[in-house]
This record gives sequence, C-alpha cells and structure tokens, in this order.
Amino acid sequence: MALAIMLFSFSSCSDFLDRDPDTILSEDEVFGDAIMIKSVLSNFYGRITWGQHIDDTYLYTILDEASKSDGGPDNRQEFENDRWRVYDYTLLRNLNQFLKGVRASTVLDDKTRDQLEGEARFIRAWLYFNMVRGMGGMPIVGDEVFDYTPGMDITTMQYPRSTEADLYEYIISECEAIKNILPTEPSVNAARATKWAALMLKARAAVYAGSIANYNNKMSAPIQTPGGEVGIPANLAKGFYETALLAAEEVINSGQYELQLSKPDDRGRNFYEALSVKENNKEVIWARDYKYPGQTNGFTQANIPPSHAEDIDRAYAGPILNLVEDFEYIDDRDGQIRIKDAAGNYVYYNNPEDAFANKDPRLWGSIIYPGADFKGSPVVLQAGQKYWENNEWKTLTSDPGRRDANDILITSVNGPNMTNDQFINKSGFFFRKFLDETPSASTRGRRSEMWFPRFRFAEAVLIAAEASLELGESGKALNYINMVRGRAGIQNLESITFDDIVRERRTEFAFEDHRYWDLKRWRLAHTVWNGIQDDPKAQQWGLFPYLINQPGNENHAKWVFEKVKIHMSPYPRYFQMRNYYNFIDQGWINNNPKLVKNPYQ
Amino acid sequence: MKRYKYFLILMAVGTILAACGLDNYDAPDSILSGKVTYKGEPLGLRGTGEAVQLQLYQDGYELRDNIPVYVKQDGNFQARLFDGEYKLVTRNQNGPWVNERDTIVINLRGTTSVEVEVTPYFTISNETISLNGAVMNASFEVNQIVNTAEMDYISLLVSKTSFVDDVSYIARKDFRDLQPDKLSLSMDMSENGDFAAAKYLYARVGVRTKGADQAVYSKIVQLR
Repeated sequence: MALAIMLFSFSSCSDFLDRDPDTILSEDEVFGDAIMIKSVLSNFYGRITWGQHIDDTYLYTILDEASKSDGGPDNRQEFENDRWRVYDYTLLRNLNQFLKGVRASTVLDDKTRDQLEGEARFIRAWLYFNMVRGMGGMPIVGDEVFDYTPGMDITTMQYPRSTEADLYEYIISECEAIKNILPTEPSVNAARATKWAALMLKARAAVYAGSIANYNNKMSAPIQTPGGEVGIPANLAKGFYETALLAAEEVINSGQYELQLSKPDDRGRNFYEALSVKENNKEVIWARDYKYPGQTNGFTQANIPPSHAEDIDRAYAGPILNLVEDFEYIDDRDGQIRIKDAAGNYVYYNNPEDAFANKDPRLWGSIIYPGADFKGSPVVLQAGQKYWENNEWKTLTSDPGRRDANDILITSVNGPNMTNDQFINKSGFFFRKFLDETPSASTRGRRSEMWFPRFRFAEAVLIAAEASLELGESGKALNYINMVRGRAGIQNLESITFDDIVRERRTEFAFEDHRYWDLKRWRLAHTVWNGIQDDPKAQQWGLFPYLINQPGNENHAKWVFEKVKIHMSPYPRYFQMRNYYNFIDQGWINNNPKLVKNPYQ
Repeated sequence: MKRYKYFLILMAVGTILAACGLDNYDAPDSILSGKVTYKGEPLGLRGTGEAVQLQLYQDGYELRDNIPVYVKQDGNFQARLFDGEYKLVTRNQNGPWVNERDTIVINLRGTTSVEVEVTPYFTISNETISLNGAVMNASFEVNQIVNTAEMDYISLLVSKTSFVDDVSYIARKDFRDLQPDKLSLSMDMSENGDFAAAKYLYARVGVRTKGADQAVYSKIVQLR
C-alpha cells in the first residue's frame, strides 16, 4: 500500500523539474547590470547591524544604561558566552563574490567600480572588526571565494585563526587601502561608506587594539592564548595609539564634519539634534539609515512615554539612575541627584525638573527626566503622593492616571510604579536620544525612520584625546576633551586623566553601542559589573518622584525623590573573566579543527 | 474527504508502528563519580550557574566535543556514561587553582571513582562560623599554597538556601587588603530585610585570588 503511494507521488509526466529557476539570477546576470549590482550592495548594508542597536530595545537593558519596564522581570545576572558574538563567513564569502564580480564587470565606469570596491571592502573590514572585538583573532581569508567540489581536499579551505593583533592590523590596512577610492563627499543620510567612515573605522580599530595591548597586560593574569589569538603584546600599544591618533586627526581636520552646534542657546536640544535629526546634520559620519516604507525601526514605538503614545506600544524600557548620575553638573563633576540633605531629610523641589537643573545639557538631549518636555509638552513622571502622618511622610500610590477626590493626580499614566504591568515606566526616566519626534513615528503601521549613527565626529575627537593621553601628550588630550565638553556646555577640565576619558565616553555615547566594548577593551568590565548586590554600579537603580499633598504643610505641592532598586531587575550585573572573549562554538571547530578555543572555554 | 481522513490515520499509525530497532540502545548506566581535592581534602567551590566544570573527552570519534561535568559546591561531581575509556581534564583557566590541565585517563566499567588533584592558590581551614543576634562571626585560617598568588578579597556570605556562593546570597561583605593568616571577621545584618525574613540561613567564607575566575570556599555552616 505504502509502496503504491510512494510510487504514485514520485511519478510525473511533465518536465516540471527540468525548468530553469525564475527566481535565481546567475552571476552574469547580476554583474551585467549596474542597478542590480547596486541592489546587491544595499543588501550588504542591511546585514551588518550587530551589537546594541535601536531596532531592539531590550539590548539596552543588558548593561547599566536602561532597565526593562514591561511584563515579566529581567533575571539577568551573568553574561552569555555568545553575547553579541558575530561569526558571519557567509557574508564574507558574498562580499568576496561581489568583489570578484565587480572587478570583472564591463558595465561600470572606473569611478563607480572603485567606489563599489571600496564600499565592499569597507563592509568586509567592519565585519572583521565586529568579529575581532568579540572573539579575538579569526581566520583572515583575503579575497578568496571558496568553492567546494566533491572529492576535493577540504583541509585547504580550513584556515587557522589569526592573532588578535594581526586581525586588527588587517582591518587598519584595509581601511588605509580603500580610503582614497571612497568618495570624500558625505553620503545622503550618512548611509553609505565614505573616506571618513573608513578613517573612523581605522581609528576605532587602532584605539581598541592599543588599549587591549595596554590594559590586558596590566591585569594580574592577562587574558591570552599561547598562539596570540587572544591578547596583544604590550609593545604594540604605542604603534596602535599613534595610528589611532593620526586617523582621528585626519577626520578632525577634514573640514567635512564638525561638533554640531546649531543651537548654542539650547545645548540640550542641540545635542539631541546632532544625534537624532538627519536634516542638515554635520556630525554623523556613518549610520544605519531607515526609510519609510519598508525600512523602519521600532525604537520610538516601543519607548514613547504613555502620555505621548500614538498606538498600543509604549514604555518597553527606561534609562536608569546609574546613567543619569554619571552626567555631571555644568560646574560640578559629581553628578549625583540631590534627593536627601546631610541629615537624611528630603530635598524639596518646586518642580520635578528642578532636581536636574544645571545638569550637563547632554542629559536633556539623551534622557527624558521627570517634567522634561517631549514634542512640546511635559512628560509627567509621578510615582505617587506623599502625606504627613504620625510624624513621617507616608506614600500613596494608585492605578496609572487616577486622581484623588480633589482632582490631584496620584500616579501618572507614565509611571513609574512597582508592578509587573506592561506599558508603564519602572525606572523614572525615558529615552530621548533616538526617540523620533515625527508624527505617527510611534505607530505600528508606520514606525520610525530614525537612524542609528555608527561613527560620528565626537568619536574622532575623543579617540584623539584618548590616544594622545596614552602617548603622553596630555596637553593635546586636554584640548580635545574640552572641545567635546565645550560643545556639550559644561566646564572645561584643567587637567586630564584616564578616568576622565572613561566618564566622557560614558555620557557622550550613551545608547550608541560603545559602553560594553569600551569597558571590555579597558579591562574594566569585571570591576564595574562586579556582581555584588546593591552595588552602586552593578545594580540597576531608579528614581521615583512624589508629589507632596499635605495642605497647610510648608512643603505642600512640592516634589521629593526616592532612589529605588529597580524591582524588574533584581540582580546585579556580573561580568566574569570568561566574558572578555566570546566562546568559539564547538560546531565551528568540528567543521574546522584548526580553530583553537578561547581562554576559560 | 472522509475517505482521505481514514487513510491519513492509517498512514500515521503505520508510521508510528514502523520504527526500527537498530538505532535504539539503552541509556547509559555506568557512573563516574569523584571529587576535586587538594591533598585528599575536597575543595569548596561555587556550585551554581555551571561555574566550575571538568571536561570529558573520548578518543576514537570523528568530532571532539567534550562532555561537560559540573562540579558541585562541595567539590563532588558525577556523570552517567557508557562504559569506555575517557580522558578527564579541568576546564581551561576555570577554578581557584593553578591551571595545569593534566589529563586523567579513566577506564569506566560500571562504577568508577576518581580524585582530581589540583593546586589551589589558597585554602581555608579551621573555620567556625556563628551567628550572634544579627552579626555573623567567622574565624578561619587562610593558607597560602601558591607563593606567587595574591589575595584579592575575602567574602563573608549568607544565603537563605544551602547554595552559598558569590552569586547566591542575601548578605555579603568583602574584605580587601588582608594577608593570609588566622582571621576573625564579622558582618552586621541588622539592616538586612532578607536576613530577618529568612527561615533558614547558611553561611560560608570565600577567598578570591587576583586573576582567578572563581573563589575557593569554606564548608557550609547552617546558622538558622
């Protein structure tokens, strides 16, 4: 019976299986058409968003920048062995196929061919960079396109891992090789690679390599493998820092970009626009661009404050107090929010936003704090009311948006609160950086065209500052860091230390996929995310604003704040030695036994 | 349609019944057990989160993926395997001991017990841990085994379950800048809400070496 069915289902009387596929294009067809070539390139640009990015809000809750605000708790404590690991030799092969095709194509003029070659090699260098910062040295395959024919010796296709230093060197040399065939004019919305993007990648790769060579060897037990796949010798640090400084200064002196200062009278707004508004942008060098229809992201939809929401989604995550307090005051480097006086009594504010007066204007440009404006109206964050009873302040909270008998708000629709409900804030803050102000950008139907900058001018300046400091040129370093602080609108430094670089990068580049990699390359991650409960840094903290409702009391209608442990994220972050390098997957080793494992594996 | 339905049921039943016997064999029932020791004494380790692992390799197969063996907090481990010859090593740079990774060849027939002898940087001995009101008092001796090792910190840890380590705890206090010696340390938990609410309390002392990925721990003492 079964046999009969099988025979029947395999018999056919047409040549159905012998037709040429009509959905697969041959290489000749692709590389014989300039428009087709361009669409292959744009496919590559769509496949290279790794690490932390705005199309996935939860990626911001992993570190010490934001916490989850919706649904169930975030039980994270440790970091995965494959956290943000990139291993995409499929893309690498596609890029090399593309290079081969473009070089042989007859339908392109020389200038276009050069540009396409430059962009493909830039994307390839970016791919290698994303691999090396997670795993250390990986096989470098050059321009080779591997083709397997049955019976061939596959060991010729198995390349061993390069050393970590060699892979960084390779990225640097590729960027140097392509910088003069890439355009010097900024591309539309910074979406395509230019000479300056290549130089930025070169500078970033070099400063990463330099700091690993420097700080890894200062650990009591440097992380390394005998073959150098992980770990860079200390004597290479100087050369890498020099390369980083030269590349960064080439960008700084290009005249194409600047530390955008279009609204000197409103520095917070100015900082927001430098990052989050594409029109007339002078700051961003290379970005993942989004465009409606088809290419949009859900960051605004997910994170818009409930009071401003246009659709169902809202308040998936909120920035945390750890980050807010790392922003300095304009004239005070200790950024702590003053919520209690020396005797332990509340500090009373007339308006909630007064608690953030005189903060670094970049705080306004990065984070919506209680009472700050969004799209022209204030974002009310109110956890509840405080009233005086039995000689102490008692707390009254309610459902979101409820008012008391005198029509005074108890708990705001925005939150924050201590429930597990979704669509309400749990930390006391909302994102502003990358939150789109365009109407209907937070709807499911449209979503947002907000871009995600990967390289921008301020990074060139801070790389130059860091590299010159490490090279002992602290005068130069001071000058560079004060450029960034001056644009932000905070006091200049009189002298500069390594710690100043760490702090400046934390606040300038919040939510821009720098924090994790920075702390890793400086070998600070295991000291900051130390896994100790209630640690001021490793634990996630929030700030809850309360309205005083006690008519007759001198503080009636004023505001107080309480620092709370984020209940959605009960455990401290714990970064362990093994997290400095991702694990090499056993499946890859099975396919290529020449790959050696990473330390702690 | 109805005809097809019966047909499909018949097919499904047929498929289920027509399994082949060749690739089915019994589950492994040989047991490899053992402990991680120094001079015969088992070491106190972190037992949660798969933190300390040993690796079992078996030669003669094409792929060389290891079998991870998870070490419990009292230094014991156990694996259920097929009979055969295995190679047991510690995991690279894992554990509060010198990373030597000598291979132990194990011939497993039925039940086999093995001791994995390591050289810890420090050991803890003669520990007495007690609770006085809300204050935990611990006195113990830290013995330096490896001369070049530097102590990073000593932790006093209290947990409400019998799992006590640098991740599972309700109260913790770290002491830095101490020298290996006879030590008496204490931790006040009167402000700790978890401490007051806990029905059971267990405590332990841990010593972390600079550059090691794990701490070495004392035995666990039940306080409440």
